This record gives sequence, C-alpha cells and structure tokens, in this order.
Amino acid sequence: MAHDLLVSRRAFLIGCSIAASPLLTPVTFAAAPGENRLVVIVLRGAMDGLDVVRPVGDPAYAALRPTLAAVAGLPLTDFFHLHPAAAGLMPLWKAGELGFAHAVATPYRSGRSHFVGQDALENGTGAADGNETASRDGWLNRALSLMPNTAPDTAVAVGQQRLLILDGSHETDHWFPVEQSPLSAQAQDLLTAVNTADPMFSQPYTEAQHLMRNLNGEAAPKGGVAYGQLGTYVAERLMGASRIASFSFGGWDTHRTQEKTMAEQLTGLTDALLAMKTGLGKAWGTTLVVAMTEFGRTARENGTAGTDHGTGGMAVLAGGALKGGKVFGTWPGLADANLLQQRDLMPTGDVRAYPAWALRAMFGVDAAGLQSTVFPGLDLGRDPGILL
Amino acid sequence: MESLSLLEEIRFGYGPLAGTTPSPGGLEPDRVLAQLTATDTAAAAWDRPLLADRYTLIAAYIDANKARKASKDTAKPPKDENDPRIKIKQMEHLDVASFVARPAVATLGFVERLVNFWANRITVAGNVDHYVQSFRDEAIRPNIAGRYADMLKATLWHPAMQNYLSQTGSIGPDSPIGQLKNKGLNENLAREFLELHSMGHGYTQTDVTEFAKLLAGMSQDEKGRKVDKKRAEPGDKHILGATYTEGIEQIDAFVEVVAHRQETADAVAFFMARHFIADAPPADLVTALSAAYLANDTELVPVYRTMLEHPLASDVIRTKIRSPQEYLVASLRLLGMDGQEKGLLGFPQANMMLNVRLTSMGQPTYKPLRPDGWPEVAAGWMTPPMMAARIDWAVDISRAMGDQASPVDLVDFAMGDLATPLLRRAVGGAEQRWEGLAVLIASPDFSRR
Repeated sequence: MAHDLLVSRRAFLIGCSIAASPLLTPVTFAAAPGENRLVVIVLRGAMDGLDVVRPVGDPAYAALRPTLAAVAGLPLTDFFHLHPAAAGLMPLWKAGELGFAHAVATPYRSGRSHFVGQDALENGTGAADGNETASRDGWLNRALSLMPNTAPDTAVAVGQQRLLILDGSHETDHWFPVEQSPLSAQAQDLLTAVNTADPMFSQPYTEAQHLMRNLNGEAAPKGGVAYGQLGTYVAERLMGASRIASFSFGGWDTHRTQEKTMAEQLTGLTDALLAMKTGLGKAWGTTLVVAMTEFGRTARENGTAGTDHGTGGMAVLAGGALKGGKVFGTWPGLADANLLQQRDLMPTGDVRAYPAWALRAMFGVDAAGLQSTVFPGLDLGRDPGILL
Repeated sequence: MESLSLLEEIRFGYGPLAGTTPSPGGLEPDRVLAQLTATDTAAAAWDRPLLADRYTLIAAYIDANKARKASKDTAKPPKDENDPRIKIKQMEHLDVASFVARPAVATLGFVERLVNFWANRITVAGNVDHYVQSFRDEAIRPNIAGRYADMLKATLWHPAMQNYLSQTGSIGPDSPIGQLKNKGLNENLAREFLELHSMGHGYTQTDVTEFAKLLAGMSQDEKGRKVDKKRAEPGDKHILGATYTEGIEQIDAFVEVVAHRQETADAVAFFMARHFIADAPPADLVTALSAAYLANDTELVPVYRTMLEHPLASDVIRTKIRSPQEYLVASLRLLGMDGQEKGLLGFPQANMMLNVRLTSMGQPTYKPLRPDGWPEVAAGWMTPPMMAARIDWAVDISRAMGDQASPVDLVDFAMGDLATPLLRRAVGGAEQRWEGLAVLIASPDFSRR
C-alpha cells in the first residue's frame, strides 16, 4: 500500500468536510444574551406521568393502578396528587416554582419504540412515524441559530454522553469534569497536530483540550455521577457564560416493580432540581427547567407491578421564571373510551409547544421560526402561560 | 494457524498482538474465516463459569445468607475464601475483567469481535450481573458461526434475557394463575425481540401483544426450557398473519418465521455492515449481506464471507472508530498486557481499575444505557469528555510502559503502512519515549479501524 495513495485520499476526505467544520467558520463572540436561562432535561426510558402526578380525581384511576395507587401521594390540587418520593419538591410547588404539563406527547404515533421516540423528541420532528428532519440535528441547536448574540458557549451539554438535542451546525459547548494531562508542552503540540489534522477528531479533540484546561479545580469523578451533582454542574455553567443547558436523565423504563424504581428516579430528579436552585441562587428567578420524555406509559398496570410503553406523557416544569403551582394541559379522562387504543393516556397537547413558548418569551425566537425551523409542523396554539 | 494481516487484525480483530508477526498483505477472507473453526488456548484461560456452576454458587450464597439470618449472627463473617459471598464477588470481578482480558490475550481476534458484536446487538445488562457473562458465553458464543434463528432462540430463552426484559412474571391474563391472582402480561421482551433483535419494523402493537401472550409462562433453568401451563395464555394467538397455539414448539416456530423475514435479514445486514465497515454502510453491501442471509437459511458464515469479499472490507481508509473496549484492548495488545498487571507506575497498586477507564470513555462493562446496546457509530464515542478520557488513558499507560520500546517501532507494529506520515513524524518527534507512545495511542490513527 503506497503512502501517496493514502495521503491523497485522506486529503480528499479532509477537503470534503472542511465546510462542515465549525472550527473553520467564523464565530461571533458577543455578550451572552441576557439573564434568562433555560434547562432542558431529556428523561430517557418513558417516564410514567400518571404515577408522578396522579389523577386521583379521575374515577377510573384507582382501578387502573391497584398496586401503584396503594401508597398515597401528596395533594397538589383536588384532582392531582404528587408521587410521595417527590416530596422534596413540594416547597417549589407552593412557591409557584413547579408545574406540570399533563397528557402531552410528541407527534410520534406509529410505534412505541424508545429509540425512535427519543430521537424524535430531541430532533423535534413533526412526523407521526418519528422520522427525523432531513438535517438530523437537535431542535435546541436549530433554535440557537435563530437567536441573536449567541457565542459557542451560550448552550452547553452537561454529562459524558452525546446529546442529539444540542447537536447540529451551530457550535455549542460540552462540559464534564475530566483529568488534566501531564504531557509536556512539546508533546502536547505533537498530539494536537495529529488530532487536528483529522477532520473527524479535530473538533472533539479541541473541545476535550478546552475541558482539560478549564477545570477550575473540579475533580474528575471515578465512574458515574449522581444527578444532584449533575444539577450543580449545570448551575455552574449557567452562572458563567452559558444560558441554555441540557442533560440526559435515564432509567424511567419501569416495566416491573415500578414503586421502587420510580422512588429512586424521583429522588434523583428532586436532587437535580434542588441542586440547580441552590447553585443558581438569585438567577433561579429567571430560570426555566423543562424535563421531557419520549412518551408515556400504559394507563393500566401490567402483570408485573409496572407499566408498558404508552403514548400520552407528561413534562415537568420548574424554575423561578415559571408561573407554576399548576398542572397545565387538557385532561382527557381515563375511562376506557377516552384512552388511545383502549390502553394509553390520550395526548391532548403537543409537548413541543411548552419549550417553544419558552424560547419565544425568553430568547425572542419568533413564531414563524418556531413552527417551521425549530419544531416543524407545530401549531403553537394559545399561549399556555407558563412564564411569569 | 496463519496469523492475520495487519489490516485484518485492525478491522476484524482487536489489533496486532505483541510478540506475534502479522501475515503480510491485505485481506484474505479464507484466512479470517478460518478463525471460526480454530482453537484459542490463550483466550480459553479466561473461560468463565457456565450457568450450571453459577446456579450452584448462587444457591449456596442464598443458603449462607439464610443461615446467618437464622442464627441471628450480626458479627461480620470471617474472610473465608470458600464463603459463597466472597466467591460470588470474585466471580463478578473476573467476569468484568474478562471483558478486556480475554480479547487482550486472544489469538482469534475475529471470534472475539463477533461475540462482542452479537452480544451488543442482542443486549442484556444491568440487574442481571451474575448471568450476563453466561449469556455471552452460552447464548451468543456457540452461535456466531451458526444460524441466526438459533441465536435468536438461545438469547430469547436465556435467563439473563428473561430477567433483563422483564419476561419473568409475565402471566397470561386468562391463565389459571392470571385469573386467580388477577395478573397479566408484561410485553417488554415481546416488543424488544421484534424491534431490536429481529425485524425492527413491519409489525403492529397487536402483534406485540399477541406475541407477549405466546411467551407468557416461558422459562429456562437447569432442567431446560418449559412453558408453565398455569401461566400460559390459553387460546390462539394471531401474529404477523399466522396463528399459534401455545408451548415451546410454537414459540420456536414463530422465531423461525421471524428469523426468515426480509425485515430481519435487512436488519442483520445493516447492523453487521455498520459495525465492521462504515457508520453509514452503502446500500449495495447491505443488500448483498441480506441476500446471503436469506439464501442460506439464516446461516451467518456466508454473510461474513460476503462482507469480507466486499471492496470496502479491504479499503485502506479506516472510517470506523474503535469502541472504548476495542480501544483499550488494542493498546494492551500493542504492549503485551492483559490488564491484570499490578503495581504499575501511576496506577492503583492492586488493580489497574480498567472498568473506571471504560466508564469514563463511555462504556462501563456490561452496563449499556439502553436495550439497543452501546453506540455503533463514532458520534456516540466522541464527546469531549470521552475524548479526554482516551487521552488520559494514553498518557497514563504510556508513562507506565513507555520506556520499554521505541515508539516509532510501535507505530510500525501497530499500523505498518496504514500509519499516516504525520503520525510517524509526530511520534518520532517526541522528546521522551513515553510521550511518543502517548501521541501514538491518543492519535486518531490508533482509534480508527
């Protein structure tokens, strides 16, 4: 194998991808846009909204959920009770800093696949079959392209994993504590030379170096991190240059012994939300958190004290910017005739409308851009009034 | 046994093994396929206990716990190496270690890659720690050179899968126990079998529910497979346009039908091409693999041969990125290590703690985040924190091992003519040997396959 052949073909490959490299496109550095802050949490595995915010006032509820309804929840309203494991969030509810959007879903209807559902949720597609938009990027990335005065660190993905919701042509930041490198400056230069010459590695390598140099004393965790810690990381980013942050929160696929798993999940979510509130201090007052999941779960318990994949789900809303203390949305009812295919909570609203209204109010993204670019096919409808 | 060429080792194995001499030349399908029938004594040193032994140990563990509770003995148990509690911990530790150590020492890299590929395609994980290893060794490994239909049967029934996708406890609502206790189905395994393990599309929610009825009451233990009549849903099940009654043979019959579907052939072809050849494999390759699969009664070897004969299989441009496990193992093989070394400079004294490394790179052993397995495309492994973890590993292992050989010689051994001139210059230009090695292991060239 001749080197020349390899080099020329490689050079060709590099030539092809130059246009796509954000490092080579001019970037406008500007002041971060204002004090508003948005956090989007991707709840992976399909959170059972009917168990988190329980419609105890619905006459059909108790019979559908004999095991799950057994341990009493905490009254939010006469109709809805909160799962007891989320008790730590009650002060937020009472302060108007917590709310929920019930019976909502993405437009995905043709199946109940986690993976199609999550990609659809993060891509923001309007397709009923869940197929991604042609750009195959994330809606939060497309939203950034419609905002004035953004910088590469205006939006940040926090955590180890890739986040489709922030992927795309608009440059974004990625943050997680890592180890520092003890290489000499000379060896570091050599390593940089080989990595930046490779179009696939150039950008992630450069961002990794950025991470390694900007730890500010933060120690790299050995193994995974707790969600409370993740919430602290998010708050730290948002107290710096970032105004939009997103992270992934898995483990909601409760097919069996849901009582135990749901309690662990809600403890983690409570920890994350409270850590953000603490870390943000006064800035919590201008922050909105939207936690979304790919779909809901069956209205009926299954044979193993859990629930199977459903359709209508729920979004969790929090933050000082929220006009909370309210369960948003239109309740479809749980009677058999009101369920989708006699099994799932009927979606009565497009979950995408909630982040869309937030983007409009907090970051000035206009309705036309929201309904075409960010969320294709979305009908914004009436303002649900989630913001103060 | 003729050793693989460098290109074969890199694309279809775990990279060249220190102390061996790769065959000259490019890709010869027969040479790669010969590995499927050869014996690997080095890898066999990492054979792990089979299910029967695991059952025995777990039974002893449960007995020991019961005995301790009954005796109201609250004192800490003595550190007896025959205590089942200690033996189980050791077993788990070695199971996890073998994920890296076995391919690190293996002479049949293609075999280990196939086991890993299929075990990822048909994933079990999480709360089934004691059985994941057996799933890989007893449901996947014996079937990698057989029929996919048989792999589907073995994986569907294996206790690790039954547990992972919540099949245990799924009861026909009209079965005697379902009626007595008002119990019902759990459709998790039925859905993921159709979505992830076989067809991927082309079925309805009704097919999923009906298939869940067919599976209700199934289990497999020391005595073999059974369908418990007290839990099985009585009556006909209408799935994908055909009718099934109940029992083991009916489940087998349905799996055979699904295995022979065009959708399943296309899925097998796509996933194999994506794993070995390209993140976005060309349509002609996928079509050829799918056709080979259907023409040979779901036999996998003809599919492998078709893949190996495709021009992209021998292309010198490597577009795939090694997974963290493949990356870690390739670096150990380069240095002649198995990851069990103790007292290395800069590492914890007793243990290299490679699972912490894999976790930081995004791949904690046997714990994929989703039932569709680990990412199979570069984007899943190239977030900045994961890249930083690769660099961190490269630097640490090079500091510990890098004074023993010329890093430029290691470039030749690891990649030969496949290395870019830039890499050769950069590694040769380092001021210290270990830093040259760090540049090699942290280079894009070394992560590509």
